[in-house]
Amino acid sequence: MPSNQDKKPTLVWFQGLTCNGNTHSFLNHPNLEQLLSKFEIFHHPSLRSTKSFNDITSCEIPCDIFIFEGTYDPLMKRNGILLEKIVNHYAKNAKHIIAAGSCASFGGMFKASAPERNSGLIFNEESSFGPLLKHKEKVINLSGCPIHPEWLGYTLGMIVAKREIEVDELHRPIELYSNLAHHGCTRNEYFEWKVDASDFGEKEGCLYYKQGCRAPMTHASCNKILWNEVNSKTRVGTPCFGCTEPDFPRQNLFSTKTNMSIPVDVPLGISKRSYLTLTGIAKTFKIDRLEGKLIDYKTTR
Amino acid sequence: MITKQLVDQIEGEASIYFDIKDEMVDFATISFPHFRGMESILKGKNALDALVITPRVCGICGHAHLMASVRAIENAYKNAGHKINLNQKIESIREFTLLMEMVQNHLKWIYLTIIPELQKLHPTDRNSKPLKGAFGASLAAKAIATFAGQWPHSSYMIPGGITCDPTNIDVLKAQSYLDELISFFEKESLGISIDDFLAFESCKDFEKMNSDISYLESELIKNDMTHKGHSYDRFIVLGEHSFTKVSKLNQTKAMGADVKYVSESEAYSPNEKTYAINALYKNNFYEAGPLSRCMALSMPIVKNMHRRYKDSAYSRVMARVFELAYLLKKSQSLLKKIDISQSSFVSPENIKNITAEGVGVVEAPRGPLIHKIRINEGIIQEYKIITPTQFNIGSSTQSNPTPAQKAMSGVSIQNALFIFRTFDVCSVCTTH
Repeated sequence: MPSNQDKKPTLVWFQGLTCNGNTHSFLNHPNLEQLLSKFEIFHHPSLRSTKSFNDITSCEIPCDIFIFEGTYDPLMKRNGILLEKIVNHYAKNAKHIIAAGSCASFGGMFKASAPERNSGLIFNEESSFGPLLKHKEKVINLSGCPIHPEWLGYTLGMIVAKREIEVDELHRPIELYSNLAHHGCTRNEYFEWKVDASDFGEKEGCLYYKQGCRAPMTHASCNKILWNEVNSKTRVGTPCFGCTEPDFPRQNLFSTKTNMSIPVDVPLGISKRSYLTLTGIAKTFKIDRLEGKLIDYKTTR
Repeated sequence: MITKQLVDQIEGEASIYFDIKDEMVDFATISFPHFRGMESILKGKNALDALVITPRVCGICGHAHLMASVRAIENAYKNAGHKINLNQKIESIREFTLLMEMVQNHLKWIYLTIIPELQKLHPTDRNSKPLKGAFGASLAAKAIATFAGQWPHSSYMIPGGITCDPTNIDVLKAQSYLDELISFFEKESLGISIDDFLAFESCKDFEKMNSDISYLESELIKNDMTHKGHSYDRFIVLGEHSFTKVSKLNQTKAMGADVKYVSESEAYSPNEKTYAINALYKNNFYEAGPLSRCMALSMPIVKNMHRRYKDSAYSRVMARVFELAYLLKKSQSLLKKIDISQSSFVSPENIKNITAEGVGVVEAPRGPLIHKIRINEGIIQEYKIITPTQFNIGSSTQSNPTPAQKAMSGVSIQNALFIFRTFDVCSVCTTH
């Protein structure tokens, strides 16, 4: 007979104002079955659960891990019950609270639905704000639009292993978010030598100078822990939109704001002056191999 | 007497208010309570930002939204006198990733929704293994990510083409994910080959099978779903694609169709506020989705089912299974068409110089998805989204019910709740 110590941690995955993207992203986890077997799922938006939705919204049972997906709207009701009541009930009792995705972390895409009142669980963009401030020590923000399935897998795995998850000032796990989306990008050499992509639809060139890429300023491990285990936006020529940062969604996402043809936002932690100096030097070299098509052997010598 | 039922574990949440007479549903109204205001979020933004914003309408069919957006913007370019011509490579890759999204949707719906719901109607010892659906779907998502970078929420389609520049390595990789998915589906779901399955001539052929799909089929029959869930027997397909045919059908009689005849009407939901708006074609309700697309294609086995059981819940569910098999084969042929030497992108006029209106129509997993954009010097003045669930479900009056309302009448509440889900409800799309 299983003892109390063998009891699986209980988990409630609850949604505010959302597109369901985090739910569906998580279903792509490469070891989903094995991962889920470590928990008792009281509620999940699409997986079979051991409690009914009525049980969940009646706010009588506690859970160990509370995952919240979507923007928090204080006026929103689920099953006729104010979100505020539901969120507070589970937060109060849970040992861990996970904000799944950028909406739950910072307000994200659907903050704009009602900007005067909507927010994430403990942040409104970068400002401390939201319904769970009094439980903020327990909150882990897994920003990203959507959440990366393996980032959530890592967080749940650490919880099960009872290991401490160190977080940054925005409550994001340092192991996941100390990388920039730029790290591991297949276009890094073009970035080094300041060779921009002449247009979309090419393997060659860096997307930071014209196409709006935010990867050098965005905390995310997308090019280290690949999406769907196969790829990333920048590897397929789509600029990084900075979806893990509190200011997502920004505007004019497919173009880089420049001043005298230098990007206005320079890579994280680099002074503008250093960046300009380096760019000036790099641009004086003309490297044939980086100007041509990679596939063309004449220029890859 | 009015009985309220909350429906969760659809994409979002809905409430159904059943008016019961003699223990059967006389009439039902439907409410979708959550609203995000996507159309107003888009207003005032750069038109290209729609390619990032609209996929976030829906976590399960965001790729269809991306394609509807890119088509709407490209249509605006054309109307502004800057027609964009797409080569076969661009068209094939876009269509391939769209189909893979449809495949993941159908797989999840079969395993996470329909089989478990049937087991509620008629409990058996069978382990329905819902995670099979998620596994199959994740293979389809890998195939998408090979070209689109990631799934969900990719933005790799842009006016003039696609952002990726695949090599043969990528094409072969996508092929191997697809092959793995096909063999998974044949082994784990069908128990026979896709070719044999698509060659079925009548429903009797299911008797030869012993698999998840034959279990699904026999449970539908046991629950008499061949005689329940009928709607108008009118079908609509509006998105132009290589895998179906734009048409409206009255029973089996097919005619051409044009998106300009689509209109909207306020939903009728007297018991609770709903944010749904009904979508109609020539002022009539039409059913949209896999059954409609298979009928438009005159797929022999689906026509045979329809001859016997009309637009019953059985036909609606099984058409989706056949469509899934058909789309897997179709995807293989699309990959073969990719010539990597063709360009991925032809740079169009700067969006800042575009002032025009555009319409983009695609077939999303649940049916026609329509995006309309009005652009002034590259800035969105107005954006309008009409989704398939607005055609199928919405909520209307008893004298003129929507397809789902009509399909739910005359059966028990439990049956009506199952029939509701045969439309593959997407609450988040409905209310965007």
